[in-house]
Amino acid sequence: MHRRTFLALGVAGAALVAGAAHAADPVRIGFSIAQTGLFAQAAPSQMTAYEMWRDEVNAAGGLDVGSEQRAIEFVWYDDESNPTKAAQIYEKLITDDKVDLLLAPWGTPTHLAVAGTLEKYGFPMVGNTAASVAIRQVAPGNIWFPTSAIPDKIGPALAALARSTGVTKAAIIANVLPFSQENLEYLVPALGAEGIEVVINESYPPDIADMTTLLTAIKDSGADGVIALSYPADSFLYMGQAKEIGVAAPFQFLLVGPTIAAFADAFGPVADNVVTLGHWSPHQAAWGRAKPFYDAYVLSFGMKPDYLDTALAYMSCEILQQAVAKAGLDKDALRATIASETFDTINGPVKFDGVENAITPTAFLQLQGGEMHLIWPADVATAAYKPR
Amino acid sequence: MTMDLIASPQLLFSALVLGAGYALVGLGLNLVYGTMRLLNVGHGDLVMLGAYVAFWCFALTGLPPPLAAPLAAALGVLLAEALHRGLLHRLLGAGAERIEANSLLVFFGLSIIVQNLAALAFTASPRALRTLDDVVHVAGVAMTESRIVILLVALAVCGGVLIGLRATVWGLAIKAVIDNGRAAAVVGVDVPRVRRLALWAGFAIAGLAGALLAMVEQIGPFMGFPYTIAAFVVIILGGLGRLGGGVVAGLLLGFVQVYGVALTAPTFSSMLLYGTFVAVLLLRPQGLARAARIRS
Amino acid sequence: MTPRAGIAAGAALALAGAVPWLVGPYGLTIALNAAMWVALTVSWSILGGTAAYISLGHVAFYGLGAYVVVTSWQVLPLVVAVPLGGLVAGAFALTIGWPVLRVRGPYFVILTLGIAELVKYAVLNVEAALGASSRLLFGVPDNRTLYLATLGLAVLAIIVAALVRRSRLGAGLVAVREDEVTAETIGVPIGRYKVFAFALSAVIPGMVGGLMALRSAYFEPLQVFNPVISFTIVTMAVVGGAADARGPILGALLLVVVSELLWANAPQGYMIALGVLLIGFVVFAPGGITGALARPRP
Repeated sequence: MHRRTFLALGVAGAALVAGAAHAADPVRIGFSIAQTGLFAQAAPSQMTAYEMWRDEVNAAGGLDVGSEQRAIEFVWYDDESNPTKAAQIYEKLITDDKVDLLLAPWGTPTHLAVAGTLEKYGFPMVGNTAASVAIRQVAPGNIWFPTSAIPDKIGPALAALARSTGVTKAAIIANVLPFSQENLEYLVPALGAEGIEVVINESYPPDIADMTTLLTAIKDSGADGVIALSYPADSFLYMGQAKEIGVAAPFQFLLVGPTIAAFADAFGPVADNVVTLGHWSPHQAAWGRAKPFYDAYVLSFGMKPDYLDTALAYMSCEILQQAVAKAGLDKDALRATIASETFDTINGPVKFDGVENAITPTAFLQLQGGEMHLIWPADVATAAYKPR
Repeated sequence: MTMDLIASPQLLFSALVLGAGYALVGLGLNLVYGTMRLLNVGHGDLVMLGAYVAFWCFALTGLPPPLAAPLAAALGVLLAEALHRGLLHRLLGAGAERIEANSLLVFFGLSIIVQNLAALAFTASPRALRTLDDVVHVAGVAMTESRIVILLVALAVCGGVLIGLRATVWGLAIKAVIDNGRAAAVVGVDVPRVRRLALWAGFAIAGLAGALLAMVEQIGPFMGFPYTIAAFVVIILGGLGRLGGGVVAGLLLGFVQVYGVALTAPTFSSMLLYGTFVAVLLLRPQGLARAARIRS
Repeated sequence: MTPRAGIAAGAALALAGAVPWLVGPYGLTIALNAAMWVALTVSWSILGGTAAYISLGHVAFYGLGAYVVVTSWQVLPLVVAVPLGGLVAGAFALTIGWPVLRVRGPYFVILTLGIAELVKYAVLNVEAALGASSRLLFGVPDNRTLYLATLGLAVLAIIVAALVRRSRLGAGLVAVREDEVTAETIGVPIGRYKVFAFALSAVIPGMVGGLMALRSAYFEPLQVFNPVISFTIVTMAVVGGAADARGPILGALLLVVVSELLWANAPQGYMIALGVLLIGFVVFAPGGITGALARPRP
């Protein structure tokens, strides 16, 4: 093609596109990702949910913004797992990139850090992977937390579950990091209230390299329930060494870790009947969107989703999508809609009361034959509890 | 915690496995530092790459990690050679202090590059593999097969290197270069070749260690940094360039962590590790084995 | 300082002070980063640049300062708490300085790294024992205030570092770098000098840590004691050229600017690009920016 003809065609094409530009403009959605640093291992569980959601919406003709459908385009940056950097990024996304919508960063400290920025600009954002009693201290109005895994609710629920399975003597080991310690604070009195004796209560640092002493003591204590308030790395260590030493307590709980796909890869049947924290399972038939989401995820990424983080991240996208369909992109309308509507998610209906999810109950999962089943509370359970 | 626990052979096994792992990771770093004065803060990233070799071999072909370990070691050799040709020869001309400071930064840069390339290639999602996870009971000690393999291979490699240093020509040459590069050159040692060999060996051992540890750890692009710190703690504690001292220090740290926790409380596990390190260094500024000869 | 240099410095300072009124809120956060790294890197160079004792543990001082401010939040006013954070960091350096500074070369590098890790785990244990699992600070000062305070600390660090370099202390420290044994033989009180410089290089990082805790409004030990902070300080100092007084300032500013450019425009590869840049500097300009400027190319 002659160069001038090509240019002329280009100009004509551009003019045509400009005429229809408004409809073709993508909706720009901004967020930060912990691509590097302390949280980097956890971030893909969130990013994959975002990517899958975007691709699904775009394949279906785009995001319904009330009056029209527009393609989704992501604007994202690495926050280096640094909450301060994340707050800075959200400031940039809002003031500099002028994005239309926001998705959440990964982790409790990061959510709390960006909450201030959202407040400052009155920009609503549905959070996801944050779980701490501290979220209630955040001023409501611009951030919402769909999680039901908040330590002051986990403690009593876990104690009730343990009691229902017949636990009389519990051994607790806890990472010294905040989420574990917060859970410890509410768990110990709750166990007491359920009449369960705490025979061991020890904390350990995040990079503990060996648990032989701890696990030998647990084995010798005659505890029939082991509650490990663990993070992923120490969940791995616990599982491997508990098998070696032969910790045989029928009830064994690990806080964070078993929902990660690699955990099942590492332990297979060894991890069977381990109980963990989580409020979503693809096996709950009442949640019509759950199983299709699970199947599509496995098809896209060749691995299972993280039952906690991926599910939460996807839920936050669903909530945003439904709110935007109703309210459009106007911040005030969006804020009012998120705050008042009930949303249909892969985890069933979600409605916010203040910053918290008022519907989804605090729940627990059990790994049964390689599948994650909800075993508590009874009204969402997908399988009965099995002792190890 | 009771005396029964302290006397339990179960504790001894765990301390040995942990210590042997530290010793192995430290040994590779010590070879590289001792002969070339390179502070390789990317050492743990070689462990990470070795772990990925084991993971992918296992995931794609079912090859168990102990058999993938030689491949991981070979990858280490390749990287060592590439690095030597491309970059290190530019650094090695300077004086020892200059080399130390510059290599710290070069390897910090390399470490960032390798970690992020690994994250781009493999994603940061944690991976794990399950193999050799049966538990064997011998004389009342429960031992997971993978941990037995780690212990035996680590001790064999450490022992082999230490014996080789005394019993082979190349080993003696490496020792001579570690002790005094200039004097070694005077008595006819081909110092550049010996350094290159030591670099190969150091990187190979790190890769091999990673392949072994893949059996018991989560694998991810950012898993290396703790191994880097552990390796430095081990070789500084043992005395820089003192390969035997480093192996002893590695084992010692395994015992300090396992028995220290038994005698105090689990919450002090990490503080015991760094506390021992700091305390020893304050009392003996050149590490356990006096390395006063390290001067060039 | 020549009159011309004095005018340039005055103009630069006036410009830096006017930043909050010249740039938007996002620009201000970058300026705050720059001020923070200049303050940290210049402080580090008080010992690291003169005597070439490379501390990989400065995050301990930063973290201790942050911890003081966080634990005294709403107990002490900030004008007391932040300087107190600096004093605690300085006192800690003074306490450990005497034994620690007997250790040389790579032993010192890794010892300081080990001490910082030890402090991190100690603070984690204390926090767990106190049952203080998540500390959220409300009503922290805005970024403009934090920026001006951090800028003040950066200027203070530059002044202190310059005074040290001109003093007998500075000359003694340079003698330590050239040949510690000889320096001691000719009567330089190297022990006292090193410890004093170490403590001096810890005070401002302690105060900076306190201000940065206010900036993030959330305290988690793993964040504020992250060893990457120490590595970054050393990187900036060496890229700028630690032996020269201007080096740490230039190095910190350059890395902030470069990382901002790469980060915003190449979100996938900026860490890799940063690594390449670092290696390029060490290999092709081993004296850092100032070294390359001072020595004309052959």
